[in-house]
Amino acid sequence: MWEQLIIQPMTNLLLFIYDLLGHGPHMFGLAIILFTIVIRLITWPLNASQVKGAQAMQELQNDKDWQEIQKKYAKDKEKLAQEQMRVYKEKGINPFASCLPTLIQFPIIIGLYQSIIRALSAMPLDMLKLSRTIYPFQNVQGIIPLNSKFLWMNLGSPESVQILGYALPTLAVVVALTTYVQSKLTMPASSNPNDQSAQMSGMMSIYMPLMLGWFALNFASGIAVYFITSNALGIIQYAATGRANWSNLLPGGNKKNQITKKK
Amino acid sequence: MNTKRLILISLIALGALALSACSGSATANSWYGLAADADRAYVSAGSLIYAVDLKNGSEVWRYPAKADANIIFFAKPLLTTDGQLLIGSAGKNHEFISLDPVTGKEKWNKAFAKGTWVATPLILNNTVYAPNDDGFLYTLDMAGNQVADPIEVSGALWSAPVTDGTLIYLSSLDHHVNIIDPVKRSVVAAADLGGAIPSSPTVGTDGAYVSSFASAIQFVTPNGEHKPITKVENQIWGSPVLDGTTLYYADLTGKVFSQDVAGGKQNWSVQPNGPVVASLLIAGDQIYVASEADPTSALGTLVALDRDGKTVWSKEVGGKLYTTPVASGDLIIVAPYQATNTLVAYDTQGKQAWTFTPAK
Repeated sequence: MWEQLIIQPMTNLLLFIYDLLGHGPHMFGLAIILFTIVIRLITWPLNASQVKGAQAMQELQNDKDWQEIQKKYAKDKEKLAQEQMRVYKEKGINPFASCLPTLIQFPIIIGLYQSIIRALSAMPLDMLKLSRTIYPFQNVQGIIPLNSKFLWMNLGSPESVQILGYALPTLAVVVALTTYVQSKLTMPASSNPNDQSAQMSGMMSIYMPLMLGWFALNFASGIAVYFITSNALGIIQYAATGRANWSNLLPGGNKKNQITKKK
Repeated sequence: MNTKRLILISLIALGALALSACSGSATANSWYGLAADADRAYVSAGSLIYAVDLKNGSEVWRYPAKADANIIFFAKPLLTTDGQLLIGSAGKNHEFISLDPVTGKEKWNKAFAKGTWVATPLILNNTVYAPNDDGFLYTLDMAGNQVADPIEVSGALWSAPVTDGTLIYLSSLDHHVNIIDPVKRSVVAAADLGGAIPSSPTVGTDGAYVSSFASAIQFVTPNGEHKPITKVENQIWGSPVLDGTTLYYADLTGKVFSQDVAGGKQNWSVQPNGPVVASLLIAGDQIYVASEADPTSALGTLVALDRDGKTVWSKEVGGKLYTTPVASGDLIIVAPYQATNTLVAYDTQGKQAWTFTPAK
């Protein structure tokens, strides 16, 4: 099921783009970038609804009504939950609106990763699987084997650049940085010091770059190209809405925002 | 650490685990390599190579003594006349290793290639010609020292070079068969066959027969000229086998063919079982077909055909059969993938002689 619904269509789309590009050197890297753009465009409404949902939840944290019920029913969890549901209903907020799109995207990310790994087929068994994954209308004999060279990288291996005898993982650093920038930009200012959602976002902006950086460090660099492209597109998408919080990138930027709002 | 932070870290760790688990990239994986001499079978089965006594299927030695995540073997080992077992690793450090086939002790171990070792090397005039996934053909003396700069050949090299005694024929995944002059140490001609070539050419008279993903077999001459011998329905993964003037080969649909190369006529074609990835084995008066999976049971099956293509016997081995069987004396040995047994030996009548399952 997973194979037929996710892996095969994704791998074939990736290879179709690669074939359109002429399957020469560097073209598989370009195919991953174009493929990421296509996936981003398909999931654009999901991302937009995620951002919208997160914003609504964030704004709710600063709502007087909301803060009052938090104080009033601090010791009665059941009543607090009932009141919270009432406020959600009144304000037309779906509390799962921000996390549902993330859950839907997670299989896409895993599928994409598996597609890239399968397409690069490093061993005979992988290549046999790949040849059986390709749809009959595709140019199998022309596509296989894929040229895994992209710029200075072998997309099938973890990336590093040799500088003064040291192997520096440049792509892993760029992945971590762009993930950090994206998560900071999408983190709205909060005036509530007890805002749990803001606390969670703060933690995510530290752990996510570390996790994705670790992936870029240890796995095929093709996936790092995907992460960087996806992050860059995410930043552009968010900036296009005009709600990017650029001051968050500076140390203490969020606190400054809080003080300004309080005045 | 508060509960929320703990939950968040756990979720991220779970995500990392999910991606790692389904990636399949952390360690290379493929079917096994298999070789045999008169006394032992040698199987490269991932993290270990086993030598197995042909008399009873018992383990003689294993290398390394303890599995090492950085050393992985899938290539078919090569036995040399001076008593070495040569094999390259598909692991992280790309070692090329010589073992004593009797004891399993390491004779030498060199790490010079940039890519993984999938191919079996060739020995010609006391020189080891070792093709690597990095696109280079390395030349070594019998002590493992590089005797010259590696010969650059385009594309990943997954199959063993073959020789007519003068020239070397080396196929590449980049669709080319390269003809190499070992004296000049250079590629003197190349032929584009229009599809990836995962298996070795088969030397014939004044050239070599080469199968490819272009679902065809072509005859390539020393100057790189090539002409089609046959066109089939699906990819041909294994090398064609030449016996006198008859060429035997099988494709991924599972069809087995016999063709007279002198007259150019196809003698017969049969479909004894499921898809065939391995090369055929000719031993005595029988043709052995390693079928990947029986269409009904989905189990790897070894089929013995007579020279007219009629099935003499058929045995379900288990797992999937991708590795080319080997013959030694009266035994036919197969190495099923993802099966209970790592090796299974049959006599020529199809009676199981022994099985080998490594002790943990």
